[in-house]
Amino acid sequence: MSQRLVMSLVMTKATRRQFLMCSGAAAAGLLAGGVKAGGSADVKLRDLYNKDLSFSDFAVATDGQRVAVTGYMAPPLKAQSQFFVLTKRPMATCPFCNDGDEWPDDLLAVYARRTVDVQPFNVGIVASGTLQLGDYKDPDTGFFSRVRLVNATFKRD
Amino acid sequence: MKAKHSLIATATTIAFGLFVGPVAVAQNALPQADNTWFTDAGAQLQMRLSMQPNTNRAKNVVIMIADGNGVGTNYATRLFHGQTLGNFGDENVLPKETLPHLALVKTYNVNAQTPDSAGTATAMLAGVKTKAGMIGVDETVSRGDCSTVEAGKVTSINQLMSEAGKSTAIITTARLTHATPAAGYAHAADRNFEDDSALPEGCQVPDIASQLISAMESGMVDLALGGGRRHFIPVDFEDEEGKAGRRTDGRNLIDEAKALGAQYAFDAESFAAIDLNKEGPVLGLFESSHMKYENDRSDEPSLAEMVEASITAMQGNENGFFLAVEAGRVDHANHGSNLYRALTDGVAFAEAVQKVIEMTSDEDTLLIVTADHEHAIAFNGYCGRGTPITGLCYGIDGDGIVHNGVEQLADDGQPYTVVGYLNGGGSILKKEKVATEMMIEAEIVSEAVDDATGEQIAEVDTDTAVSTSDAIQAHGDRLAEDLLSQLDITTEVDEDSGESSSYRWIGSRGPLTQEQATDPDYIQQAMIPRGSETHSGEDVAAYASGPFAHLISGTIEQNYLFNVMRYAATGE
Repeated sequence: MSQRLVMSLVMTKATRRQFLMCSGAAAAGLLAGGVKAGGSADVKLRDLYNKDLSFSDFAVATDGQRVAVTGYMAPPLKAQSQFFVLTKRPMATCPFCNDGDEWPDDLLAVYARRTVDVQPFNVGIVASGTLQLGDYKDPDTGFFSRVRLVNATFKRD
Repeated sequence: MKAKHSLIATATTIAFGLFVGPVAVAQNALPQADNTWFTDAGAQLQMRLSMQPNTNRAKNVVIMIADGNGVGTNYATRLFHGQTLGNFGDENVLPKETLPHLALVKTYNVNAQTPDSAGTATAMLAGVKTKAGMIGVDETVSRGDCSTVEAGKVTSINQLMSEAGKSTAIITTARLTHATPAAGYAHAADRNFEDDSALPEGCQVPDIASQLISAMESGMVDLALGGGRRHFIPVDFEDEEGKAGRRTDGRNLIDEAKALGAQYAFDAESFAAIDLNKEGPVLGLFESSHMKYENDRSDEPSLAEMVEASITAMQGNENGFFLAVEAGRVDHANHGSNLYRALTDGVAFAEAVQKVIEMTSDEDTLLIVTADHEHAIAFNGYCGRGTPITGLCYGIDGDGIVHNGVEQLADDGQPYTVVGYLNGGGSILKKEKVATEMMIEAEIVSEAVDDATGEQIAEVDTDTAVSTSDAIQAHGDRLAEDLLSQLDITTEVDEDSGESSSYRWIGSRGPLTQEQATDPDYIQQAMIPRGSETHSGEDVAAYASGPFAHLISGTIEQNYLFNVMRYAATGE
């Protein structure tokens, strides 16, 4: 109890503003939930792949161009990263962190402009960035990708 | 080739027909005498009156299990299949629904109200209910304890049938080492012991994949078609698709199977190249892990194609055959709350059932079609006829038959889908970050201190307040505790960084269009948040035709199916 009182006395008005901002962000996120911000122009992950997991004509034609892709943010490999994996359907656990977990073949590696604000696993997002085809192994994580979004941003779908 | 009994009628007409049966003598006088529902039901009645129990010895036994396809999921598949054929869905009749006999099956495991597939598969394929997670052993075994397996082993239906001189095959769209197929040939204290790398130290019981190869060597399993290649090859070995194996004992079980004379297939082309007239086992491993969902399938055979190949390969055996078929991924799609794939795999299962019906005769083949367990799937109302079963609920048209095209709205003003899950990844509750608990508390206390009135201060227990300022602080603290408990805020500390973060599970339903809801990748809404949607303990159905199929009726324990198969084939 006494510790709490001490904390309360040292809090400033800045803390109050921060608290209100955080609450506001959460509320805004809720309001946006389920609303398709990008409209039907958004690309789905399945638009990038053929059934045999080769790249679609669309993916090949869009290589090097900016594109917005809908999906879910898989739980990140590590905290405070600019990298995450976009999946077609929600992944509750980090697939690389547990050998037993199933990892979908059709995914999109996303390299964001800034440190990623991790989203709940079951919140749909739209990631926008430059589509980049070709094999690449991430030097930090060892993550191997065949296709990526680079210089990316994202928002809730 | 002889056709099965065909019961081409809806459940509604069956029920109606049975009800009016005893007074059918007066039917010509009834005003509904020419009503199609009534006449269809009359035909149904006459057909059932002519049915006689089939007490032939079953030369062949086929059990087909759609994993996670209980009565609810099956209902959705019936409508989906019908709607893809262009009808409303309700009136559709799935192939298995033409079989004349039916029972409801109690699926619990001995230690689990909600069953898992290992326990249920052991019940069906090895005759005893056992604990969740265990394969081919009885309930005396402790999960994960290899030392108790030997004493707890039970005999599988594959073993009995092969001892009776029959060919046997196991087919699945999941990994061949997964729970349901494994119960046909393996004994394991844990379903996860799929290869040696998963075995606990000192475990003397072989892993599940190696037990399959041993079963092929002994002749207990003649054909095995499915996924799970990674459990058959070493960790430093890449398969045909460039994916590494899991085995750490250096064994390449595919090579070992080939050395036994097995034909091996890994894709559609090598599958088509298998000589089905050739003696010796057949091993098909079409994916590193599970085979693809039917919706995503490419370069691998369908379940129906695997069924056709297996029956073709085995039907030359004059002693007959035993075939176990699993549609393994209805379950997986349900776990993912992705109804569309559950139903497209359900339709692929229906096509496999149809293939068995076409290729066998009910004179000599006992066919059982069932599920191992149900899921936490649920159905909303009140939807008009023809409402897309994967999509939003449309209203009922009082003046006609087809739905009125009006999206039904919940009290929150939003439309809702016909099908939802009680729990799963589609939960409307999201784990939202909030300001840390400490910050929120500090804010509340600070506000309370600023705004405190004399009356509020007076309410503070004087035993804990030694001064007026202390009483004000105590008042703030009390408010903070009350409010925080209402907010259900949880604070976690990151083990690596030491940073704390706080969150709440909150949410509401947003707008949803029919186009979004019927998208193949749509995740059905759920209430309780869970990464993986769960099984449920409710009953599944068992449909049956052929010799002694009439023994499958009423409400039965799941392991009873084993006794019926054994009796029909051996008389024991």
